[in-house]
This record gives sequence, C-alpha cells and structure tokens, in this order.
Amino acid sequence: MTWTPLYLLECQLRAVGQLRVSLHRKMCNRQAQVRWRSAGRPAPLLTARPTRALVDEPISIEAHHLPSHTPITVRANLTSEDGDLWEALSHYYTDAKGAVNLMRDPSMGGSYVGCEPMGLFWALQPVPGSREGLRLRKRDVETPYAVHLSLLEGHVNPEDTRGKGSEEGQELAKTVVDRWYMAPGVRRIEVRQNGVVGSMFLPPGPGPFPAVLDLWGMGGGLVEYRSALLASHGMASLALAYFGHKDIPGPLNRINVGDSYFRAAFQLLQKHPQVCEERIGVMGLSFGVYLSLWIASQLSVKPRCVVGINGPLGSFNTFSSEDGQQESFEENQRHWSYDEQGYVSFREVSLPSNIPSENYAKVEDMCCPLLYIVGKDDLSCASLENADEIEKRLHAAGKSHLFTRLSYPGAGHLIEPPYAPNARVSLWTTRPAKLFPPEHIRT
Amino acid sequence: MAGKEPCPLIVVRPSRCIVDEKFLVLVQNLPPGLAVTVHALIHSEDDDFWEAFGHYISDDRGCVNVAKDASIGGSYDGVEPMGLLWSMKPIPGSRPGLRLRKKEVHTPLVVNISVYQGHMNERFKDTRALACAVAERWYMAPGVQRVGITTNGLKGTLFLPPGAGPFPGLLDLWGGGGGLVEYRSALLASHGYVSLALDYMTPKTSGNGTQHVGNDYFEAAFRLLQEHPQVCGDRIAMLGLSFGTSVALGMAVYSPVIKPKCLVSVSGSHVMPVNGSLSDVFAEIKKNAHNTRHDEENRIIWRDLLLPIPDDPSKKVDVGRIQCPVLLLVGEDDQNWPASESAEDMRQMMEKAGNSHLLTIASYPGTGHLIEPPYSPHIRASNFMVAQARTKVIVLWGGQTVPHSKAQEDAWQKTLVFLEDHLYGTKHRCPRPQN
Repeated sequence: MTWTPLYLLECQLRAVGQLRVSLHRKMCNRQAQVRWRSAGRPAPLLTARPTRALVDEPISIEAHHLPSHTPITVRANLTSEDGDLWEALSHYYTDAKGAVNLMRDPSMGGSYVGCEPMGLFWALQPVPGSREGLRLRKRDVETPYAVHLSLLEGHVNPEDTRGKGSEEGQELAKTVVDRWYMAPGVRRIEVRQNGVVGSMFLPPGPGPFPAVLDLWGMGGGLVEYRSALLASHGMASLALAYFGHKDIPGPLNRINVGDSYFRAAFQLLQKHPQVCEERIGVMGLSFGVYLSLWIASQLSVKPRCVVGINGPLGSFNTFSSEDGQQESFEENQRHWSYDEQGYVSFREVSLPSNIPSENYAKVEDMCCPLLYIVGKDDLSCASLENADEIEKRLHAAGKSHLFTRLSYPGAGHLIEPPYAPNARVSLWTTRPAKLFPPEHIRT
Repeated sequence: MAGKEPCPLIVVRPSRCIVDEKFLVLVQNLPPGLAVTVHALIHSEDDDFWEAFGHYISDDRGCVNVAKDASIGGSYDGVEPMGLLWSMKPIPGSRPGLRLRKKEVHTPLVVNISVYQGHMNERFKDTRALACAVAERWYMAPGVQRVGITTNGLKGTLFLPPGAGPFPGLLDLWGGGGGLVEYRSALLASHGYVSLALDYMTPKTSGNGTQHVGNDYFEAAFRLLQEHPQVCGDRIAMLGLSFGTSVALGMAVYSPVIKPKCLVSVSGSHVMPVNGSLSDVFAEIKKNAHNTRHDEENRIIWRDLLLPIPDDPSKKVDVGRIQCPVLLLVGEDDQNWPASESAEDMRQMMEKAGNSHLLTIASYPGTGHLIEPPYSPHIRASNFMVAQARTKVIVLWGGQTVPHSKAQEDAWQKTLVFLEDHLYGTKHRCPRPQN
C-alpha cells in the first residue's frame, strides 16, 4: 500500500456509509486551526519502545500530552548508507486523552492506512526528488539504522514537509530508534578460506549451533544482513558470495564457481567447531533457490532442510559442474522482457518451460524438507510456475511430504526480513544490451 | 552435542533496552524435565563480576520461561521476571564493599545470560554453558544528548531529550557520597526531562582555603535550567537522594530563586536545614558524631546523627512553607538516614501548617537507604569515602534484597508518574510501556 489521497479515502468511507467519520474530520481540522501550543507548555511526548530493536522486533510507538481529537502526523526518517533520505508519514487523530497509540489506532492516510504498528518502517520510501530505483539494504551490519520519528502538527504529506516554514507540519516532538541486524554478542567473521568468499555470523556462547548457508540472487556481491539476523536467533550463518565479488577470481559478470565451491562452503560450515554438522540448512532467494536445490540434490552434501524464496529450479544458462557458468549473465538476453516503461523483467528467463529440463536441479533426489515461499506478484521470477514444477516433481518421486509452500498474494520478488521497505522497482548493476529510456531496471 | 540432540537456545527480548524496562528470558529446545540454572553475569567498569542465578526445571516442551516459571533456588526464588538483575551480588572472592554504579552512560551495561545443566551454585566460570545470550541495558536512549556544564562556577552534566522541546527540567541531587553521578539524569532525559546532574559536594578551593558551596551554587544551577532555551522555565522539579533531599527541601523553602514545580525526596530528611553553606550543615551534624553506631560486622550506622528529630524549628526545614507537591520515598530499614522518622515529622509539620495535601509518602518495609532505579542490585552495605577525612569506611545502608528490589520498582514508577503529572500537566494514568 503506498499512497491513498485523502479525498479518495473520503469517497470510500462515504461509500460504506461512514459519513460521520468525514464530518468528524472537518470538525477536528477546524480545531487544529486554533494554535494550541501556548507559552510555557512542554512539547508533547513521543515514545518508542524498545528504543534499540532488532529489525524483526516490533516497536510500540505512542504520543502523549497533545490536545484531544486533533490531527497529527507521525513521520519516520532514515538516511541510508548512500546518503538517500527515506521517509514514511501517517495521519492520526489523538483520542479523548490527547494520546495516539500506533498499536491500537488506525492511520487515516499517508504512507499507509489502517492499524499498522510497524507501518512507519515497512512503508519507508525515498523522499520526492530522490534518484530512481533505490533499494534500502544495509551493508554494514555491525551498526544500526537510526530512524528519526517525529510528531508533526496536522495531516502532512511529504511535499509539505520540505521546510516551507508553514505552521502545518511543524515538528512537535521527536525520538530516535536504532534498528539492528545484529543482536549483542553476535560475532561477524570474514571468511576467505579454501577459496570460499563470505561472512560468517556466530551467536554468542560456546555452541554448537545449527547453521544456515545463506544464498542471494544475481544481484551479486555479498549480502550479510539476513545472516546477521539468523545468528541473532541462535543459528550460525554463512552469507556466501558466488557472483560479482572482487575476491572471487574471474570476470565480475560471470559465475566463475561451480560445484566444488558450494561443496567447500557447505563443508566449511560442517567442520566449524561451533556448528552442529548434521544441522545445516540452505536458504536461497531468487537465483539462490536454484543453487540451494542444486546443493541439496546433487552435491553429495546433506542439508537438513532448504528454504527457497521466489526462485527457479533451473538455470537458463548452463551451469558447468566445476567452473561455473559458461556464459555471462548478460550475454544471452533472449528471454529478457521489457514493459512499456522500459523496466526489464527476468520472469520469462525463469519460466520452467523456457529452461531445458536437463538444466533443472534434480529436486526428485532431495532428501530433506523444502519450504518454498512464493510472492504471487513476483514480476521478476516465475515463482508460482517454479513452485508448481517442483511440487510436481517431488510428488512424482513420492516425496510430497517434503514440500511446504507459503504463498503471499500481492507480494513481489524481494521477500526480505520483516518491516523492511518494499522496492517495486530498483536499480541493478547489470545493463541490458539495448538501452531503453528511461534506464530503469526492475528486479 | 554431535547433532543428534536438539541445540538449546536462550533468547532475551528485547536484547537492547533502557535499564528500567523489563526483558523476557526464554530457554528452548531442552529435554523435558531437565534441571537447569539460568545465570546472569555483569563485568563492571571497576573490573568486578556480579552474578545472579535461578534454578529451574524445563517443562514438557523443553522450555523455561523466566517470566512465568518459578525459580526453586539460586539467588532468587519464585516467579521473578527480573530476578536475574536485581538479585545480583559480587561473585565469591570479590573485594568487599562493592557497589554497582555505571559511570560511562554512553555505553550499556552488558549482561551475559547463560543456561547451564543442573542446579548449580558456583563454578559457573569453569563450566560450559548449554547456550548463551547477551543483553544490553542502557541508561541513555538514542538521541539523548549529554552536555558537560562548567559555566557560572557550576560542575554538572546536562542531559537533553531528542527534539526541540521545550521540556520540563529537573535538578538531580545525589547524596553525601559526592562526585558527579550521571546515570539517573541520563535515564530521566530518556523519559522526556532536561535533567541536570549536579556535583555539589566537591569542595571549592579558594584563597581562603577549602570551603563548601552555598545557596548561590544551587540557585545558579536552577537558573541554568530555567534559562535554557529547551526548558519550560516554570516546570522544573528537584529530585534529591539522601543529603540531596536536605538541599532540595532547604532550597525549595528558603531560596527566593528556586521555585520547583514539584519535589521528589528519596531516603531524605528535613533535619539540619541547608540554608547557607554546606560547611555549616556538616559542622552541625558533626556535633552528633558520638551517635555513630556500628553493627556486628563493624559497619557504620549513621542514622542516629540526626536523631532524635529536634523540636527546635531552627534545626529543621520549615516544610510547612513548601508550596509545591512533594513525594517522599522512604525505606523503613534505612540504616544510614532516619528517613522514616523524618517523613513522619514532616507530615505532622505540614498537617499543622495546612499544606499536607501537597505531601505523598511511599514507605517501604524491608527497604534500605539506596533506593536506585529498578533492577539495580541491592547492597546492604558498601565502601564509602568520607570526603573531609579522606578515609574509607564501610557504611550500612540497610534493606533486605527482595523487598528492597520490589520497592525500587514501585518507587521509580511512582516517581515517573509524579513527575509526569506535575510537569507534563495532564493527569493520564496510562502506564509507560514496560514490555
């Protein structure tokens, strides 16, 4: 849910017979025009608990000591590591005691509507005027995101808050919450061993711990935050780079690693003195799903379970057994498709019917449970079709009991840890052979 | 653990919070019916170790929930969600007379929480834990600013909540131990008050020799708050502990400058009024030095220095003239200061003067002198530096751990509600979120 103009909301409310709500709003707006802040009164209080939370922990936000039945806006601001400003706003009315409680009260407009205790976090968007195609991803997981929460006067929209000097939108109160990917005591260890490139996250304590091999997609590089979060929940986790990382020899636009690399990564976990070698799972998103299924079925290692999010069971580009892919990802763009705005989609690339069946991971040889998560609005990967194909193959092999599917209507490709902002479109490092204006790429 | 048995897991939620917030400690993936010890350890800034532990039996799902299950032994027993903190004591073999106080408020108290197999009482250091977690407990919320104050001859630290304000203000006065103690002010700023922790016991050295501060020092501190652009000048409270109460009450009554909106007294007394130099007051108290007693362990009991409560009105603050609400927090086992007797005498004086409607007394049985923020470990006695004589003694503060710890929680809650009612001005009774 992004923007709902207030007039549209009023129409909707009238349509369901809640005329009195809109009348109430008119009355409150009139009251808001009376400047309630008289000399000597302290500012209202905005509180958030806990003030330092893990990113998957809910935060209770409340405001107190405001006049009753008054429109206010709660705003969240965050400056990303790249210096971009992200913002979410929501419109509330104080109750009879002059309080707002985001655990209880519905937002009447803004970045989201309805009762959404964590809406200010998951609805964060780049402020108007930002560069296009931004995605909020933490690189340094050893420091938190500082989210600045403010209470503003009246019902304010993003374009109103850019220092126009009007009384509407004036900041009444502020608080700050730190959101962490790493719990205290979690250790981050850089891994450059046996050719394996990654970052290992260990929970506090002697262990041994269950472990996860954590694989992302063709965005490349090394994405650590999910592993940091898993370690914060008691699992050792190895975030593994396999593509587009400077420490992996070979061209950055090819997958230069193969079976031996993934086997070495799995064994690195198995041999770690603080890991239970028989309790290692593999988790993959997007292309990482294909890799996870490949690892679980063909590499003679035995993961305890696999979690796949929105990914294919096969790769259109052949994946050689030892040396990685023979073609760069960009070389064969025959199945890349573009919409009317010029956004590219890899959906066709990942359709099982477009992939030669000899390029599928042999899921029928899997011996461990698979949890497959589908975003039904995934426009980057044909997740639904892949889920169906995997389920069909496991069923044919008498292994239906291993398959669990979770489907989420309206969810896209990037199913991230909870309360993270959604990016419907984002920039990607890979460039298409043809340039389509605008140069936007959708993942 | 070759991977056949489940891996035990201990979870603390939230793993980072403010020191007055509760946490949840949950152990999972144990075999059912297993005897375990949940243990908490703090390595203090002074390089000492403090610990607490509870004995539990996992339920039929292999879980222990410290908030819901009863401890059947250890440093606390019964259902005590926060027992792992308030029942902490120095580990065996520690130096005597320790007190756990955080000096550096920019960093958290780090608590290591582990679960061990069996019901253990010692040798935790030499035993491998089944699982561990780490919790951070902070005095300062993110966004709170800390500002050192040295203007106008003052020595203190100002803590400001995030945002433009304006905020109510608070003058925070500790007791005769002296020094600059910041953590309570940091905590109060995390609750929305501009709080000034003031060092007033350190004697000033001048050409005439060493002397203590006088009225003007406290007036300058109060004025600093009043004139601060982020403070509501007419909503400033005073909070005093122990001797700090004597100062606060004295200033509230006698100073033409200091007009607090409300006043909180923790373990304080109105005897020996502070209306002039502190040196005079100490000289007066010293006259009763022969009343110093010692307990069976030769720990100093100073409560009789102010007893009996004098009838002579010139020997005590005329609380009948107080014009603001007063909250007295009193430990009935206070061995350091006659807080109970003083509270009773103050009540009588205010009733006679007709302003007792301003007075609230919360009196706690089994509670000693050092009523600190909640979950702070209770200590019955500790080392104390007698400022003038520069000698170290061990002072008996009093209190029994369980009632004292409960009192700390209740007293803090009462303090926050009292301050909010009188400084933020709206009487709402919604309790602060406590997780």
